[in-house]
Amino acid sequence: MEKQNTQETLRDIWVLGDYRNYFQSRVTLQILARARALAKGTGGRVCALVFGHGVDEYAREYIAHGADLVYVMDDPRLADYSVQTYSHLLTCLAADHQPEILLIGATRFGQEIAPRTAKALKTGLTADCIDLEIDDKDRLVQIAPSFGGNLIAKIITPAARPQMATVRPGTFQERPHDDLAKGQIIRLEVPEDLPEERVRCIRSAYKPAKAQGIEKADIVITGGRGMGSKRKFKKLFDLARVMNAEVGATRPVVYADWISHDALVGQAGKHIRPKVLFSFGISGAIQHTAAVTDADFIVAVNKNPNATMMKMADVAIVADANQVCSGIIRAIKEKIRD
Amino acid sequence: MVSELPWNSKTGTLKRELAEGMMDPSSRQALEAAVRLAGSAGSDGVTITALSMGPPMAEEVLYQALSLGADRGVLLTDRRMAGADTYLTSFVLAAYIRKYAPDTDLVLCGSQTSDSETAQVGPQLACELDIPAIGWASDIRLSGRTVTVCRHVDDFMETLEMDLPGLITVDQGAFSPAYATLGGVQEAFDTTDAVRILDAAALGLDDGFNALKDSPTRIIDVYSPTTEKENRILKGAAKTVVDQLFKDYGKVISSAMGKDLKTK
Amino acid sequence: MDFNPCYKHQLIRKTVREFAEAQIKPHVADLDKEGRFPEEIVRKMGPLNYFGLQVPKSLGGAGLDSISYAIAIEELSRVSASLGLCVTVHNSVGIYPIMAFGTQAQIERFVPDMAAGRHIGAFCLTEANAGSDAGGVETTARKTDAGYVINGTKIFVTNGGVCDIVLVFAVDEGDKGPANVYILEKTRPGFSVGEIEDLCGMRANPVSSLFFEECEIPETNRLGKPGQGLKIGLTALDTGRIGIAAQALGIAQAAFEDALSYAKERQQFNTPIARFQTIQNYLADMATSIDASRLLLYRAAAAKDGGGPFSAEASMAKLHCAATARTVTDLAVQIHGGYGYSKEYDVERYFRDAKVTQIYEGTSEIQKMVIARHLLTRPS
Repeated sequence: MEKQNTQETLRDIWVLGDYRNYFQSRVTLQILARARALAKGTGGRVCALVFGHGVDEYAREYIAHGADLVYVMDDPRLADYSVQTYSHLLTCLAADHQPEILLIGATRFGQEIAPRTAKALKTGLTADCIDLEIDDKDRLVQIAPSFGGNLIAKIITPAARPQMATVRPGTFQERPHDDLAKGQIIRLEVPEDLPEERVRCIRSAYKPAKAQGIEKADIVITGGRGMGSKRKFKKLFDLARVMNAEVGATRPVVYADWISHDALVGQAGKHIRPKVLFSFGISGAIQHTAAVTDADFIVAVNKNPNATMMKMADVAIVADANQVCSGIIRAIKEKIRD
Repeated sequence: MVSELPWNSKTGTLKRELAEGMMDPSSRQALEAAVRLAGSAGSDGVTITALSMGPPMAEEVLYQALSLGADRGVLLTDRRMAGADTYLTSFVLAAYIRKYAPDTDLVLCGSQTSDSETAQVGPQLACELDIPAIGWASDIRLSGRTVTVCRHVDDFMETLEMDLPGLITVDQGAFSPAYATLGGVQEAFDTTDAVRILDAAALGLDDGFNALKDSPTRIIDVYSPTTEKENRILKGAAKTVVDQLFKDYGKVISSAMGKDLKTK
Repeated sequence: MDFNPCYKHQLIRKTVREFAEAQIKPHVADLDKEGRFPEEIVRKMGPLNYFGLQVPKSLGGAGLDSISYAIAIEELSRVSASLGLCVTVHNSVGIYPIMAFGTQAQIERFVPDMAAGRHIGAFCLTEANAGSDAGGVETTARKTDAGYVINGTKIFVTNGGVCDIVLVFAVDEGDKGPANVYILEKTRPGFSVGEIEDLCGMRANPVSSLFFEECEIPETNRLGKPGQGLKIGLTALDTGRIGIAAQALGIAQAAFEDALSYAKERQQFNTPIARFQTIQNYLADMATSIDASRLLLYRAAAAKDGGGPFSAEASMAKLHCAATARTVTDLAVQIHGGYGYSKEYDVERYFRDAKVTQIYEGTSEIQKMVIARHLLTRPS
């Protein structure tokens, strides 16, 4: 279907290139894939933006992953990631070119730059979308957890433009790298008079967070308040040992200090995609469930059969989480071949 | 000190934690950071203000802030503020600071409130006030008019510096809050007028101001998440269900473990 | 008349609940099992003012009113009745008599350390032959030039195993004359602590016997005017009853909450048992008794703050709260069925902890005596 449009750029979807931690965070590529699909609805182009110095490889990479066009601002003054400067440039560019949609990965950098840019552009912003769609009025429907995490809200930005959203890493699947993909790289001049940097970087060192384990683990065991107590929660570690699994937890459990913050599985924590997820005593607020939907197979244990986590499980065991945990430990010990 | 306390515009009800009148844990860590900074050397005469926008009942949370070390509390409340998204929440908070506390040196926010986890109000408030901002602080040090912040973001350990006035959002878990003393609770109620309540007019907002209408984003639908799994239900004694689990799904589990499990 | 709690009382409740759930709750089952007093938790509670709830700020306390006091004990006991007991006894019959009857010098000497939780207080009246009847007390005080020499044995002393300051109820030697209350530090030669009692409930509180053998104390350790012992004892008990009522209420509240959530979760005949009318009747009775208890308790506390007599009010509150704790924990076990009889579930502990609230700080029978005496002597 051919879309008619007088101002072509008005239909463009922009994706901010966040490349600093390229090999660990594929979020820009994931969003490009989704933007590609959305562009079928809007009829516009998918454009990536890259700020930095010596960043050509990323521009080419974005084209290989679905961008029609990459705007590049390459300048030694942009060598260091800067929320203030990049936001300033992004704001100016968006004001000039008026994209329809601007999507940003919800890395910590993205979570800082997106709200500032939205504010400067006087537009709305939906955080942490779990899906994005184009409705029959060509509007971007931003689907995100809301209302304390128990519900999902569909949000639109009726008047202001661009329509902005951030997306958690891992929400969408990137497209395969396509060396033959055609795209245009447009180099833009960086203005002489960049605003003075008000936040000075004294030191910056690459230091990957430890315990990446849970995000890569084949088996994850998560526990919630239903485990009853810190003492009983510890039983999950026994199970993890016999299964060679990682332990994760819900927000209330982390706040109750039953386990460290590193183990938080949820929107503000880790997004997991194990082959098997054992979920003990978790009712399932959306901030948690949104981060576990990629598990291939879910076993949930809860006394309450109506818990959200039970509804989304492959196997829902209506029983006391502690007793079942002990039972599985016993069964595995018996069944492991020497 | 600013805490973001949004409420549910659709149903008019509040997030559970707020309904129970407890401070959002993330905002509480920001308050803890403020208290520690105020207690550090060379900070004589520092006044900590706990600022919140929310329904009238959020007043109680400000008394809690006093019990935890704030010197005064301010509640911005008005029907016309209901339903504000982060764009307008930061606008209203900034309106207060501009009008009543223009000499504020440092604004501290929780990085993500447990209600919406947007992490947007802090950065947007900094834009409104046109002051520098640093997110996700795990350590904050003040030296004269310079603040130095350590943070761990996207696998980078950074040390950043800015001059006051500025805004900092604190990382979760970095400033684990102290428990209030019961004497502190009593003291929160000993001072009269420690909590101030202001409406839209007091902030000088236009007569036409209406957060729900003026917010750039709009909620068009709300629904419960659903799934389409087999959803096999097992019930009974622990031993029975565990046996059943391994009988029917043992292969799935053993292949994920990468180990053979005896079938009998 | 306003039945809505004010912000302050709400915040006291939330503040105590938050601490108790995070710092105490994870350990209660183990403490009960091991019969261990959690000194490490007590050390955390000291700086938070739990050991000087109504002590003025100038002496290092929280300066709370009596309703706040009752709420704090209720919330502590909702999580750990044993610790609630420790705190209420320390505050009500340890510190309060010194505040009410002590000289300024005694207050300044003893209260700051007690309010900070550095010194734990206890009060001992009960003996082998004296409980409800204080007239049977055989512990004696012998006057000397320097002060007094105490001899005797006290039993079932709450906080006995960990107390630093003991208020001892003793009669003058010889003529079994008037009784006095003496303040005794544990460092006095001749003072010793007996075995920790192996009790049905309150197992994390070191209830024990205390022995006094030729225990010398200076004149300045006698509390109040000569012969004022009985008055001090009765006043202490009136105050103590508010605390024990609050403790009983806390136990009942905990049992009710567990029973309610279990009834909604537990399925029998393919439906949550909360759907059955019998269970609903239980829950309704439990909730009603708890509410009635709470109103009686707060009225007694308010009467105490009002400065007038509150003895009858305190006894009514204590009588009713203790009875409520007893019946509510019983029903909570019943609702839990077989699981409720197992140590896997907390209701079993509530059930054991509840009983003693009908026994100590005046048995329920004594409360009725006190109430009846007020009815019969009140001008009509």
